Amino acid sequence: MQRRGFLKLCGAAGLGFAAPVGPSSISRAAAAKADPSNYEGPYYVVFNASGGWDTTYLMDPKGVNELNRLYKEGDILTEGNHRLAPNAAHIEAGMSNEDFFKKYGNELLVLNGLDYSVNNHSPCSRYMATGKLDSLAYPTFAALAAACKGPEVPLAFLTFGNYSSTGNLVPMARVPYLNSLNNLANADGINGSARNPYHDGFVIDRIERALQQQMKARISQARLSRVERSQSMLYAAQLNSKALERVTPFVPKTSPKEQLSRQADIALASFKAGVCVSANLNIGTFDSHKDNDIDQMKLLPQLLAGVDYFVRRAEELEIRDKLVFVIQSEMGRTPKYNNNNGKDHWSVGSVMFMGRGIQGDRVIGATDEKQFLVPIDPKTLSTDKEEGVRVRPEHIHAQLRTLAGIESHEFSKQFPLKVPEQETLKNLWG
Amino acid sequence: MFDRRRLLFAELFLVLLVASCQFGAVAISTAQGNGKNKKQSGASSPKPSPIDPGDRPEVDHRGPGCFVVDNFFADEVWAKVGERTCLKCHNAKGDASGSEFVLRDPARDRTKRDEVLRHNRVAFAKMASTLADGKSRLLRKIAGDLDHGGKQVLKPDSTGYKILARFVRRVSGKPDDGPAVADYDAPPFFDGVEMMPPQRLLRRITLSLAARLPTKDERAAVERDGLEAVNSILDSVMKDDAFYDRLQEAFNDILLVRGYDGGGEGALSYEHFKTRLWYQDRSPRKGLSPEKQRELFPYSHPKMIAYTKLVNDYREGMLREPLELIAHIVRNERPFTEIVTADYIMVSPYTARGYGVYDELQDKFNDPDDPFEFIPTKIKSLTDRNGRKVQESATGFFPHAGLLSSFQYLKRYPTTETNRNRLRVRMYFLHFLGIDLMQLAPRVNDAAAITAQYEIPTMQAADCVVCHKVMDPVAGLLQDYYVVDGKGIYGPRKDGWYKDMFAPGLENEGLPDNERWRSLQWLGERTAKDPRFPVAMVEHVWYILTGRKPLLPPEDIDDPLFSAKRRAYRVQRDETERIADVFVEADFNLKVAFKELVQSPYYRVDGLASTVNNPRRRAELDDVGLVRLLTPEQLERKLTAVFGQEWGRLTHRESKFKILYGGIDSKAVTERMTDPSGAMGAIQRIMSNDVACKNVALDFSREPSDRLLFPNIDLSVVPGGDAEAKARIRQAIVHLHQRLLGREHATDHPEVERTYELFAGIVGDAKAAKGLEKVGSYSCDRVDGKRLDDPNYTLRAWRGVVTYLLRQHDFLYE
Repeated sequence: MQRRGFLKLCGAAGLGFAAPVGPSSISRAAAAKADPSNYEGPYYVVFNASGGWDTTYLMDPKGVNELNRLYKEGDILTEGNHRLAPNAAHIEAGMSNEDFFKKYGNELLVLNGLDYSVNNHSPCSRYMATGKLDSLAYPTFAALAAACKGPEVPLAFLTFGNYSSTGNLVPMARVPYLNSLNNLANADGINGSARNPYHDGFVIDRIERALQQQMKARISQARLSRVERSQSMLYAAQLNSKALERVTPFVPKTSPKEQLSRQADIALASFKAGVCVSANLNIGTFDSHKDNDIDQMKLLPQLLAGVDYFVRRAEELEIRDKLVFVIQSEMGRTPKYNNNNGKDHWSVGSVMFMGRGIQGDRVIGATDEKQFLVPIDPKTLSTDKEEGVRVRPEHIHAQLRTLAGIESHEFSKQFPLKVPEQETLKNLWG
Repeated sequence: MFDRRRLLFAELFLVLLVASCQFGAVAISTAQGNGKNKKQSGASSPKPSPIDPGDRPEVDHRGPGCFVVDNFFADEVWAKVGERTCLKCHNAKGDASGSEFVLRDPARDRTKRDEVLRHNRVAFAKMASTLADGKSRLLRKIAGDLDHGGKQVLKPDSTGYKILARFVRRVSGKPDDGPAVADYDAPPFFDGVEMMPPQRLLRRITLSLAARLPTKDERAAVERDGLEAVNSILDSVMKDDAFYDRLQEAFNDILLVRGYDGGGEGALSYEHFKTRLWYQDRSPRKGLSPEKQRELFPYSHPKMIAYTKLVNDYREGMLREPLELIAHIVRNERPFTEIVTADYIMVSPYTARGYGVYDELQDKFNDPDDPFEFIPTKIKSLTDRNGRKVQESATGFFPHAGLLSSFQYLKRYPTTETNRNRLRVRMYFLHFLGIDLMQLAPRVNDAAAITAQYEIPTMQAADCVVCHKVMDPVAGLLQDYYVVDGKGIYGPRKDGWYKDMFAPGLENEGLPDNERWRSLQWLGERTAKDPRFPVAMVEHVWYILTGRKPLLPPEDIDDPLFSAKRRAYRVQRDETERIADVFVEADFNLKVAFKELVQSPYYRVDGLASTVNNPRRRAELDDVGLVRLLTPEQLERKLTAVFGQEWGRLTHRESKFKILYGGIDSKAVTERMTDPSGAMGAIQRIMSNDVACKNVALDFSREPSDRLLFPNIDLSVVPGGDAEAKARIRQAIVHLHQRLLGREHATDHPEVERTYELFAGIVGDAKAAKGLEKVGSYSCDRVDGKRLDDPNYTLRAWRGVVTYLLRQHDFLYE
């Protein structure tokens, strides 16, 4: 049976998994682009500032009411339509706000005044990742996008931490080391060597055909749902894994020191090879209950440097225009310092977006001088204290689904966000 | 009037604890074992087995037909509105207990569920038919009129309100203009579900719990006595050391206790245990300059290797200590409540040295040089490094309270000046009462405004108080374990316990002053009596055996499959509670919980008798069936059991595959992956190739009677020969299917045929190919340095067959 015919059969049976058997060199990787199951983007990247970032030191500067000790209101900078907290003078490493906004302000969409609704790490992380506060069942946006757009690729949803629920729609993949990808590239070769296979080629072909025939035979059998799903996922995982050999050419020879950059290299190699749809990157911990300014001045530049590294490497790999970035944290920090010079949890914050389909140089929503959120008119996206809505993660996720073109996908319908029509954020992406 | 927001915490608990009524469920049928390897339908059990629900507490319903309560009330009104909304306040102890509309909780006693539902229907009907200004009181109250204490609970355009409106019409005899209620006559829950043949159940049990294949005697016993034999075999299995290794590994998956910062002796503070680094006195490098250390005793020096092993064994013993407590309790069939009440800890000869109690204990060890022989002991109340008493104790001993006071457990979940022991409280509820406080966080309208409005929001703001009045008293019970610098765990806060928190206690009971020194024992005693404790422990056993947590109740009442999902949850919950009852009756012997669950239909489900097309029925059965992807550790153990030697690449310390294959490190990676990614698929291919490579030629090199894989065939038997040759090959395949896959296939089974075709196809291809060597491969088919002859390519073909079988669902899943 032809592979695509078999996939069709799987799809008819509600399975929907299978994959390319890919070549093993750059030239053959290029050829793989012709393969319809070789995922070519867009790629979704979620940066998590784990622990709760201080937005007043980044995209929602205040400088009043002793909200910030490192600058005053008059020090606040602008870059296009963005207002940013100055921090170049306070950081030792990483990327300053000044440099980041100068470089990316034109592409950046900032939403201030996001209502996380609660202020505990666990539910907030879940809420920001899925758009649903009161359910453990919902998939993260990254997982949902992977399930909808590329369940047939071997590392469809790559995660490096933070809340990563898949809703049982797609397997999650953890690849902790860059070299891990090389180790897996040639599973049929002794010690990963394609020149020294375990079996002669015709033996492997026979094995693959036997497994395929077995899978085909099972489709018509009465099976429990769990058995159906797991047999399908297993078959797909093994078959799809052959595509991992396409990754090898894109794995850098050396690994950077920075946490986010290492994650970026793994994700980018996987994107470029067409074996990944979405990646969940993570850096922390921003939970600065003590010495807020020291921690935030260390971590925010690391986060921005990580984003910058990602973009630069994506340019080198010629996939920058296929990337969608969500840069978020699960909560904000209080408008006042505690007795330990720290800031505690705050249920109001911000989120940033950038990339394909997103009009930059825009700021939507706001917080007031005491860091309370100002509601917005969902139709005009302008602030409206009296009649506006409090923008919550489900509003954002509904739009992310639209941006990804998966809002009507069967998987999305399984996990409805139930945003009333009158609260839909119109033209959020410009 | 009361503020509904004050009830949110109660709501949280109610959602988790107050089970909903499930009618039309629970007619759980199980198969009667007869010792034969036939699939058995749960529906066709001829007579009750020893584990049949016939032996269980009676449940007074079998399906919708037996109900006087109509389906609409039970499925719609109660399931979607009553229990989720009204019951929170309108119960005998709730804020609306003084109203005329007082409901009862059908989940309190599953044997009286019908009776309670009938009571509730009467209450609803009365409210529905009573008019206020011409409109049903039920609808007016729920919309916030008539001074409803809960204010507006449902908006008129909400699904819940519409359900009540339909109920009002039906009660008043008016035509119900809503969509037809599904006329679904629920079959017994396991109807049409096939149960596993006893021999396969036996294999599952021994592999899962004892890391081995069944013995001949066990197989014979099951062949003879069917499921009856499983009970006694389980008794034997749960005496194996391997079971306790598995038990510890599994409880670490739940508690993650090995993942504390610093590792090993980091759980002990130098301030209280100046002996914690006792091993340093044994270092061969002691007293030498750094240069001399490297020169005389490099790490490769035998003395340094031995010393490193000693240190590692000590640290491993420290990490393992709380899990050894669990093993000790279960092994000795002590009440499992001791995990929160044990007035002792477990120590090994090495860890006893760390605690400074070795001298007094050394005669109690069977082998004082065994780093992993653990015995129970009590340690004295703590002193500082100079011997001054720092811990009050009426007995002179540390007030041990099982895991609650374990140095390792408390170290794993440290306090900070911000969380003030609340992380520990969350873990307490999760691990010992089965409640995730953060699971369904109640949303508030403006959390930031509330935080800013009150001086002490956690004590003053209703939205915060609902949770904190439950959490913070327990946090106060941990006040003497308030070390925020990471050095050990014992030490009260210098400025005294926080005044801006609710006083120490549990629920509505305050901690008496004279119990302060033993506050965790006080907590443990109450925990052991909490009815949620046994259910939580059974849920842990559920997780251990199935690899996943029990179902949660469905949340979305707009989901057309809500009722089906709710039934699936309810029936499973009933089974959990039933086992919890048996567990309690057995004086909290955890082995009983294992035995009950292993023999439960949920563990024995094997498949469907026929395809299920009804979406509702499919939803009911969606989570049924074990179907668990083996963890790296389980897969390694299975490989060892089947092939007689370990593979190792999934679990060795230097393994790069462990995390990739979904393993955990108990610290940063804490959840096992349950579905295989492409990366895991690649590892499966590597494993199947490599394990076949390492074992097939080796097996053929042995005498047939010593072979594990190919005892009845040799390499000269080729397909395409006479009938006898074909028959021998098929018999060899049957043996492989049995050993690797646990399948008892007949020689003419389609899967045997498929494997035969694979073998024959490979040999045929090889025959047609040119230039193939007549010996096995250099890398895989050498034994004692010599490549085995393979003139017919059968050796390599069998290797291909084993690779094929190792990639199968039957091998990689449980």
